[in-house]
Amino acid sequence: MNLTSLSICGLQQLLAKKEIKAEEVVLSYLEKIQEREKRISAFITVVAEKALARAREIDQKKGKGRLAGIPLAIKDNILTENIRTTCASKILEDYVPPYSATVVRKLEAEDAIIIGKTNMDEFAMGSSTENSAFFVTRNPWNLTRVPGGSSGGSAAAVAAEEAAAALGSDTGGSVRQPAAFCGVVGLKPTYSRVSRYGLVAYASSLDQIGPLTRSVEDSAILTQIIAGYDSKDSTLSPQPVPDYQKEMKEGSPSIKAACLKEKELKGLNPEVKDTYYRTLKWLEDLGARLEERDFPSWQYALACYYIIAPSEASSNLARYDGVRYGFRSPRYQNLKEMYQNTRTAGFGQEVKRRILLGTFALSSGYYDAYYLKAAKTRSLICQEFERTFKEVNFILTPTTPEPAFLVGEKDDPISMYLSDIFTVTANLAGLPALSLPIGLSRQGLPIGLQIIGNHFQESHIFKLAFLLEKKVKFKNNKLTFDWKEE
Amino acid sequence: MKHKIDIDHICELSHLKLTEEEKSVLAPQMIKIVEWVTKLEELKFDVTLNEIYSSVSFPLPFRSDEVLNSLSTELALSNSPEKNREFIRVPKVIEEK
Repeated sequence: MNLTSLSICGLQQLLAKKEIKAEEVVLSYLEKIQEREKRISAFITVVAEKALARAREIDQKKGKGRLAGIPLAIKDNILTENIRTTCASKILEDYVPPYSATVVRKLEAEDAIIIGKTNMDEFAMGSSTENSAFFVTRNPWNLTRVPGGSSGGSAAAVAAEEAAAALGSDTGGSVRQPAAFCGVVGLKPTYSRVSRYGLVAYASSLDQIGPLTRSVEDSAILTQIIAGYDSKDSTLSPQPVPDYQKEMKEGSPSIKAACLKEKELKGLNPEVKDTYYRTLKWLEDLGARLEERDFPSWQYALACYYIIAPSEASSNLARYDGVRYGFRSPRYQNLKEMYQNTRTAGFGQEVKRRILLGTFALSSGYYDAYYLKAAKTRSLICQEFERTFKEVNFILTPTTPEPAFLVGEKDDPISMYLSDIFTVTANLAGLPALSLPIGLSRQGLPIGLQIIGNHFQESHIFKLAFLLEKKVKFKNNKLTFDWKEE
Repeated sequence: MKHKIDIDHICELSHLKLTEEEKSVLAPQMIKIVEWVTKLEELKFDVTLNEIYSSVSFPLPFRSDEVLNSLSTELALSNSPEKNREFIRVPKVIEEK
């Protein structure tokens, strides 16, 4: 039996019936990593020995947790106690956290097994994983293409069956865009639903941790475990977490959804557009009521995002100065020079670009023109969503304007930033949004649909995605790469 | 609006040193990005629009005022680049006359 092709649900059933052991599951995944990692490069760190030891412990354990024996990959900006966490940056290359993020603690409390830490754009800044300070991750569907970003390593690992599921983080689309590029399910939960304690901060008012999985049900299972109140993150909602897995299957959802007007899809890749419209047609066949809508403020969303996110980043990344942890440049005469040389040698170009941009937007004389304007635009976008959600319960968009692009294709920062055009609005408004694979392009590249819901309506999103998943029948079995080629 | 960015001043504020070559790449890119974001100038805002967006719409919960365990000094210093006993070492900050 090919254990790595099973969903979390499938593995849970076999493990509960004692037909397989956690050790066998971990060994199967380690074999896949051994076989495929040379080509994919999804992981920065693989903790084979630790994972096996933990699996053996779990096999002996009585009263196992809900994720007993499930091997998970964690994005390398989420802290894991005693496992190196680099953020794909030279400045944190040797950083070994003395504590774990709340989400990691929650997963481990349910006996999940951390198998490794995944590659990403440095400090989650990017849409292709090409900004990693270490190496580029490849898309398992086509190795000449990027896996998306910034959670590209997590998406590639899940698609290539190198992990049963993974966690990523999403600031402007960093879970959903790679999920769409790699043909997996990616959720950005409502802001304040999942603890950010132990997530290396990029833009704190936008960041949210979310799962990347091979099915909607797996996404519901993981979200349920990682969500919920945490005294260590003061922005967290005290609202109880529903039983997503159960609610997802109850009754049929009443679907009233807003979709984008033809003119808003100008310049969109024609195959993405066709697949989007085909999916909308299916939804109508399933009884959905669809309304074409205008979102006038969305055309300003990217500009707004690229002021707010770098501004917050310039402040958050001030802590990397070579004093308390991380890299310290050995070349300095005084304290100021130590700061400068450490940061100059430790950060990559995209990180520097965003720090400079954020510093500029917040600097004296420019604050009103840029930051304040962006903050107001954000409020305007929120108002538009509020009005829309009074009338519909979902907003449906393509996740990305095109399928996965070539490694090295986008060398201009603005053209790369445009990859996030459909995803940033959900972060700006703190809304939950999920990307579901809905088809393949003629070149065999996955295409995703984004389902945006109202605040705390993850259950609704899962319900719709679950329904659509059955209709789409997207299979993760057409990876074009012949693994035994070499 | 004509955009000018004093890249040396922004580098100084950011504690970053760029080579002339890096500056020649980054400065025009930044101007391009800044020109791109000035798209926001087209927007007319309602005067009543809240300037401050809040990410959370509920009162923030407080934890009870109790002393809890925190990281030990040893663990807190475990990643420091240079230390001396229970202290982090940094270059001298007080200048000699």
